Amino acid sequence: MTEKISLLALFPDIDPAAQAVEKLRGMGLTDDDMNVISGTPATEAMLGRPHQWSNVPRLALGGALGGFLIGVFFAFGTPYLYPIEVGGQPLIPVPPSVVVLFEMTMLGLLVATFLGVFLDSRFPSYAPKEYVPQISDGKIAVFFECPVEKRKKITDALAALGAESIQPAEAQKL
Amino acid sequence: MTEALEHSPGHELERLRQEHLMLDPRPRGEMNALVMEAMHTTSWKFKMVFALLSVVVAVCLFGVWGYLIAEGMGAAGLTDPVYWGIFLVNTVFWIGISHAGTFVSALLRVFKAEYRRPFTRAAELMTTFGLVQAALSVFMHMGRVWLSYWLFPYPNERGLWPNFHSPLSWDFLAINTYLLASTMYLFLPLIPDLAMARDRSTGWRKTLYRILSLGFRGAEGEWTHLRTAMNIFAFAILPVMFSVHTIVSWDFAAAMRPGWNSTIFGPYFVVGALHSGIAAVAMVLVVVRATMKNMKYFIRPEVFDALGKLMLIVSMGWAYFFFNDYMVQWYGGDSFTDTLLHFHENGPLGWMWFSMLIFNVAVPWLTLWNRRVRRNPWALFGIGLFINIGMWFERYIIIPTSLTINFMPFTWREYVPGVEAPLGIGTLAFFILLYMAASKLVPLVPVWEVQEGQMAHSLRKVGKETIVSVAEME
Amino acid sequence: MREEKIHQYRAEWSEAEQGKWGLVVDQDLCTGCQACVTACAMENNIPFVGEEDTAYGRAMHWIRLERFWEGEYPEVKATPFQAVMCQQCGSAPCEPVCPVFASVHSQNEKLNVQVYNRCVGTRYCANNCPYVARTFNWRDYDRPEPLNNQLNPDVTVRRRGIMEKCTFCVQRIRMTEDQARADGREVYDGEIEPACVQACPGEALVFGRIDDPQSAVSKRMKNGRAVKLLEELGAQPRVTYLKGGA
Repeated sequence: MTEKISLLALFPDIDPAAQAVEKLRGMGLTDDDMNVISGTPATEAMLGRPHQWSNVPRLALGGALGGFLIGVFFAFGTPYLYPIEVGGQPLIPVPPSVVVLFEMTMLGLLVATFLGVFLDSRFPSYAPKEYVPQISDGKIAVFFECPVEKRKKITDALAALGAESIQPAEAQKL
Repeated sequence: MTEALEHSPGHELERLRQEHLMLDPRPRGEMNALVMEAMHTTSWKFKMVFALLSVVVAVCLFGVWGYLIAEGMGAAGLTDPVYWGIFLVNTVFWIGISHAGTFVSALLRVFKAEYRRPFTRAAELMTTFGLVQAALSVFMHMGRVWLSYWLFPYPNERGLWPNFHSPLSWDFLAINTYLLASTMYLFLPLIPDLAMARDRSTGWRKTLYRILSLGFRGAEGEWTHLRTAMNIFAFAILPVMFSVHTIVSWDFAAAMRPGWNSTIFGPYFVVGALHSGIAAVAMVLVVVRATMKNMKYFIRPEVFDALGKLMLIVSMGWAYFFFNDYMVQWYGGDSFTDTLLHFHENGPLGWMWFSMLIFNVAVPWLTLWNRRVRRNPWALFGIGLFINIGMWFERYIIIPTSLTINFMPFTWREYVPGVEAPLGIGTLAFFILLYMAASKLVPLVPVWEVQEGQMAHSLRKVGKETIVSVAEME
Repeated sequence: MREEKIHQYRAEWSEAEQGKWGLVVDQDLCTGCQACVTACAMENNIPFVGEEDTAYGRAMHWIRLERFWEGEYPEVKATPFQAVMCQQCGSAPCEPVCPVFASVHSQNEKLNVQVYNRCVGTRYCANNCPYVARTFNWRDYDRPEPLNNQLNPDVTVRRRGIMEKCTFCVQRIRMTEDQARADGREVYDGEIEPACVQACPGEALVFGRIDDPQSAVSKRMKNGRAVKLLEELGAQPRVTYLKGGA
C-alpha cells in the first residue's frame, strides 16, 4: 500500500490556510486526511471545510430532560415516598414544584453541555499529539496525511501559497 | 488650522486606534506575552498586600468563625425578633456582586457588545469568588452548621428529604446550580488560554496548565464543540442568573411580614444585584488596570465609558423598582407597613435610609452623565464604591431593620451587630485574596477572544467618514 | 349555605377550622403574676439565659406576658395583660419555610411540632411566625449544680443552635392519653393541664378539646368577648382570648 506521511504546514493567516486546504483537496487528499488547528476559532465556512457536527446540543437537551426528571422526583416523588404535612399547603404544592423543576432542568442542561464538550473532544487527553506551540501564537496549522510520493509536490505548492514551515508532524507531549 | 489637522485622515485613524482595543490589533504572540507577563510579575507591594490579607482572612474569617461555632449564635448581635442580620445582608450582597460576572460574560455576549471582550474573565472570576463568600455567609448564619448537609437531597435512613416547600431549599438548589454553572462557564473559554499558557510556561506552572488545559490544541472539532457549548451557556445561564436572585428575594417575599411580603421583590432584587454588580466590576477593573502590568493596553477608557453608562441606566432601573415598592406600600399599606416605613425613614437608622437613596440614585444620576467622569477610572471607582455601600445599606434596611417591626409590638427590638463585623470584613478580604491569587495563576484576559474581536473589526469609509465596522464572524 | 360554599372553595388541604387541642386565655382574670411563665420554664427545661442576654432580648420563655399602657403620665391607663404563646396554628406559617422539615404538623394531635434533633438553626420559622412565639438557643446556657436537679425527665434538653417553642405540654397530653388507654377509657375533659394552666392562680387559662362542643374550652370560646390574635392573617390559631374589660 502507499506509504503515508503526516505533515504539518504553518500559515500566518486564514486566507493562505484556506487556499492551502483547497489546493490539497485539488491534489487528491480527502477532507478526512486534513485537520486545521488554530489559535482562534475559524469557522468551517471560512476555511472551506465540511460542516462539523457536534453532539453537544443533543447532549444538552438530554441533560435538560434528565435534570427535569430529577426535579420531578424531588418535587413529586419525595412527598409521596415520605409524606410530611406542613401548614396550609397541599402535600405537593404547585408553585414550589415549578421552582424545583426549573432549577433542576437548568442544572441538567448546563452540566450536560459542559460534559458534552469533554465527551465530544475526548478531553482530557494527555497522550502525545501533533502540535506546535506557534499555533497558540496565532498561526494556523494544516495537519494532513499524504502519500510519500506526493510529498515534494505538495510541499512546493504550499510553500508557494505562503506556508512558513512544512515539517513532518511529530506526536509530542503537549 | 488645527481643526484641519484634527480631522485629517491620519489623525482620525490614530484616534480610533488609541480609543478602541478592537481597532488596535497586535500580533497574537505579542498579546500572549503581555498577558503572561502580567500573570508572572509580582511586585513587593503585591506580596505585602497578599500577606496582610492572608492574616486578616485567617483571623477575622476563620478564627472568628471558629469562635462563633463554639460559642453559638449568641456571639452575633442577633436577638428575638431580629433573627436574621448582617450574615444574610452579606449573603445577598455577595450574590449581587456575583451577578456582575454573568451579566458581562453572558448578557453582553448575547447582545454582541464587543467591548466586553477584554474583561469577561475578570468579571467571571468575581462571580465564582463572590458566590464562595455568599456560601460562607450562609453557613455562618446557621445555628447548627455542622448539620448543614441535611439541606442536600440524598436518600437516607431517616426517611427525610429536604422540604421543597421552603424558599431556603430553593435557595440551596438555585445557588448551587448557579455556582456550578458559572464555574463551568468560567472554565470553558479558559481552556484555550490555558493551552497558550501551557505553551509558554516551564516548571510547575507548565504541569498545572498541561493538566488543566486537558490536551486542547485548537483543532476544528475542539473549537466547534467549545463554541457550541459557550453559546448554549451564554443563553441558558441568563435565566439561571435571573432566577437565583429572584429566589433569594423570595426568602423575604414569601414570608408574611410587613414590608417583606411584596410581590415586586423578585425583579427589584435582580436589578439591585446588577446595580451593585456592575459597579463592582468597574471597581475591580480600575484596580486591575492600575496594578497589573500591560493591562492598560487591554482595558481602555472606552470600557469605563460603557460601564458608566450601564451603571447609570441600571441605577434608574433600581430607582424605578424601589419607588414602585415604596409607593404601593405607602399608599395602600396596613398600619404595620406604615409603621415600618416610618421606622425606616425616621427611626434611629434613618441616616442609613437617606444615604442609601443618595448613594444609589443621586450620586450616579449627578455624575455619570458626564463623559469625562465616566472615562476617568478613579472617578468611576469612587462612584462604584458609593453605589456598593448604598446597596449594602439597602439590604441592611430590608433585613435587620425591617425585622425590628412585626405584628406584635411588645417584641420590637433593635439590632446591634456583634461578631458579624469582623466576619464580614473577613469575607471581603477573602474575596480579594482569592482574586489576587487567581490573577497570578490564570491569564486574566481571554486573548483568543480579543483576537477574534480584532479580526472582526475593520474600518470602512462611508462618504467622507471613516467608521468602525464589525463583521459577524460566527 | 354561603359559608359552606366558601369552605369548599378554600383549599381542601387546610385543616378543618376546628383543630383538636385549644386554649382560652381570659384576660379579665389574668393578674399578670407570671406564674404561668415560671411553671412553663420549670416543666419544659427552659434555660436560664442570664442578665446580659435577657436585657438584649434573648430570654427564652415560651409564654410571655405582654403589657401595654395608654396615655401619658400621670393619666396612664394599663391595658389587660396578654399571655402569648405558640398559637399552634392550623395553617402555620412556620411550617412550610423550614428547609429540613423540623417544624411540621402533627396529624394526631393537630399541633405544630418542633423536632429538636432535626433543627439546623436557619431561624426562618421564627421570622415567619406572626406571633413571635418561637425562641432560639443562642448559646449553651449553664445549669450549675444543683440547678440541674430540677430538670424534667419527660422533656429533652436542647443545645445551642436549636429553635424551640410552646408545645401545649405535649408530653403531658401523651402521658395522659397513654394512661387513659391503659385504663380503657377516654381522656376526660380537664384531665390534661399544661403547666401554665395548672399554675394559674386565677384560673385564667383553660385547656381542652376544641372539637368537642361540650368541653370547657369550647364553651368559653362561645363567649361574646372571644377574639383571636391576628385572625385576619389566616393562620388559624388555636388560642382564643377573652378580651379584658375597661
